[in-house]
Amino acid sequence: MTFKSALEIDCGLRYMYDSLCIMSSCGRKMLLESDMMTTKSDIDAYYHRLNDIYSKNCSQIAHKLMTLKDIHNTLSRLGDGTTLDDIELFEVKHLAILSSQIRALLIELNINAVELPELIKVIEILDPDRLNIPSFYVYDSYSDELREVRKQMKALQAHGDELTEEKRQELSALLQRHADLELEVRECLSQQLQAYLTQLIDTLNSLSYLDILVAKAEQIKEMNLCFPHIAEDTHTLYNNMYHPAVKAHLAQQGKEFMPVDIAFGNEPVTIIGANMGGKSVVLKSLALNQLLAQYGFGVAAQECSINPVEEIALCIGDEQSIVKGVSSFAGEILAIDTVIKKIKAGKKLLALIDEPARTTNPVEGTALVEGLLEVIESTNGAFILTTHYNIVNKSVKRYRVKGLRDGKMDYTLEVTHCGDVPHEAIAIAESLGVDTQWIDYTKKNLNN
Amino acid sequence: MPFINEILNYDSLSIVGMEKNVGKTECLNYILRKLPLQEKSVAVTSIGIDGENKDQVTSTKKPEIYLREGMYLSTAEAHYRERRLVSELVEITNERSSLGRIVTAKVIVGGKALISGPSSGVSLRRWVEGIKKYGIDLTIIDGAISRLSSASPAISKAMILSTGAALSSNINTLVQKTKFVVEMIGLDKLEDASRDTLCDIESGVWGVDNEGNLVDFKITSALAINTIKVDITKGMKIIYTVGALTDKLLNLIAESKNIKNVTLVVKDFTKIFVSETAYRTFCSRGGNIRVLQKSKLIAVCVNPTAPNGYVLDSDTLCRKLREAIKLPVYDIVKNEYDI
Repeated sequence: MTFKSALEIDCGLRYMYDSLCIMSSCGRKMLLESDMMTTKSDIDAYYHRLNDIYSKNCSQIAHKLMTLKDIHNTLSRLGDGTTLDDIELFEVKHLAILSSQIRALLIELNINAVELPELIKVIEILDPDRLNIPSFYVYDSYSDELREVRKQMKALQAHGDELTEEKRQELSALLQRHADLELEVRECLSQQLQAYLTQLIDTLNSLSYLDILVAKAEQIKEMNLCFPHIAEDTHTLYNNMYHPAVKAHLAQQGKEFMPVDIAFGNEPVTIIGANMGGKSVVLKSLALNQLLAQYGFGVAAQECSINPVEEIALCIGDEQSIVKGVSSFAGEILAIDTVIKKIKAGKKLLALIDEPARTTNPVEGTALVEGLLEVIESTNGAFILTTHYNIVNKSVKRYRVKGLRDGKMDYTLEVTHCGDVPHEAIAIAESLGVDTQWIDYTKKNLNN
Repeated sequence: MPFINEILNYDSLSIVGMEKNVGKTECLNYILRKLPLQEKSVAVTSIGIDGENKDQVTSTKKPEIYLREGMYLSTAEAHYRERRLVSELVEITNERSSLGRIVTAKVIVGGKALISGPSSGVSLRRWVEGIKKYGIDLTIIDGAISRLSSASPAISKAMILSTGAALSSNINTLVQKTKFVVEMIGLDKLEDASRDTLCDIESGVWGVDNEGNLVDFKITSALAINTIKVDITKGMKIIYTVGALTDKLLNLIAESKNIKNVTLVVKDFTKIFVSETAYRTFCSRGGNIRVLQKSKLIAVCVNPTAPNGYVLDSDTLCRKLREAIKLPVYDIVKNEYDI
């Protein structure tokens, strides 16, 4: 799965992407096209590199990367044997000089996460006067004849553009000769540069990669994220896990996000708890953090241990599609069915299902959820659902949101052994200030 | 010619034409030729496509822009490739136009080039800021035909207006039309405690009441003025429209009983899109318009030749116009002025 398609999962990954300060368009493109890492060795190696960047002050590098331009098109034209024009040669020279400056910074900071090829020869080709400035034109020193022609042009134009007809023709001929000479030089330069094509492409890719790493390291510092531990076994554990987008939203309103602890292995997990107890946010946070870890971002928790999976399935019950003619119930059931099929086929999945069968009657709904938990006795990934139904299955790990305490919601998750769901719906409805007559009748009915 | 010296007092200049073929490019070329480059470093661009070899509408020949050694130019990459001068590319900017990215270069051997710079006011303002890193003392913007926006004081501090027979082949009409634009450019700045507050507003139509309180009329622009059924001038000393000022709003205020006590305010003269008739009616009833920012109009240049071949008498035109607007008027093509 590419990062671009992962952004479609409604778990808050886009918020993380939007707040990631990648300087260059090629860096952004590389990230969007990157595939999710699925093995411990890949992820560990990536975080090793990220930590190398994270532990150093890369502000100077970030500043330099602001001028990185995506010149893949120019390089592919060079590869095709096309003669580059002034603007393209400028781009190549700019890349080479930028890379050599960043290379020096990497050495100075002792960073080994990224290796940049030596491009001194490219700079020599495009900077014949050793001026070491990233501007370009077909310099006089490339050709004696060019120098001579320019001298004559300059002499003719000493009086601006007011010329006699004879002089005008002379100038016109000079301009033509000048254009031919410049072309010759650019042909020669392009040929010489072709020998360094691989290094130039490597450089552009490495700089894009570096851009991503620097942005991620900066995000970890800014958002106070953590480096995940990648588990050897199938256990997942989060201490003080949170959801950055929700946290930021609450902070805007002057409220604080209450982080939660959660741990699970390959037995199915159910989360019960009052309405508005943050169950859906827990599922979204789990999906988000799993994605963050497998795409090499900082993870939103104080500390965590993550079990890499092949795929993340988040069903939050909005699979209804008017276009497909499927009701919300049918949409949901079909989505869960896909998850079951994948698990049965042995795929390592993190499946997160929010209140399955909630839109049907509670008798059949309960039976459907119990049935689901029996089918998924154990997976090689993880299987977590939230529910309001009383589930009696034995072989599940149960979490419960602490719920209302003295009129305040406690979002803490605690392990429980009984499946009885809390009865706080009326109290919560009351706290929302709905019609009192409605509440009174409801209470009366319940007591009968 | 005195106005070159006057230009040197400003760090940004725009040259705008009242119509196509009024000699704007000749005027620009004249300035570029006469500027003392040993004293000032100069950068040139234009708003949008300009400086084509041939006029796209009337197919008359348009002079190219002649740039001297040491000047900086910013133009779209497609036009940069066609330049007929030697220049050193110093930057590929992040601005784009329909002809590609805008590049900046320094002229090594003088010659002609097509200039087509950033196409919006906002990107033009960024260009003016960005080019300063090359130690530029004076930025010159070739304004697009019938688009005065580049002359907005938010972008350039000084301006030169081009007018000519292309606008009207009748000297009196030409003088009249030009005089009206010059009058708008010359509108006085608002002197009121609320000026800074008004400068920060980004859209809508607003009022300042007699106690100095800001009032939002809750209309997005003066174009939606029909939705207002009450007399918005009541109890107000200032009516401020952030966007365009149209005849409709002007007439509405002209009809109000309170007209003598209220000042109509616009951001700058480029936001005024009213007909002369409506403006005169407004003034005769006692109305007055003020601007938040004012441009300095340095001079008016005229081209007495119309694209259809009709030629006005240059001297009469210059004299009549000078009398009407009380500003220097020059026919640059006819007279080779010397400093």
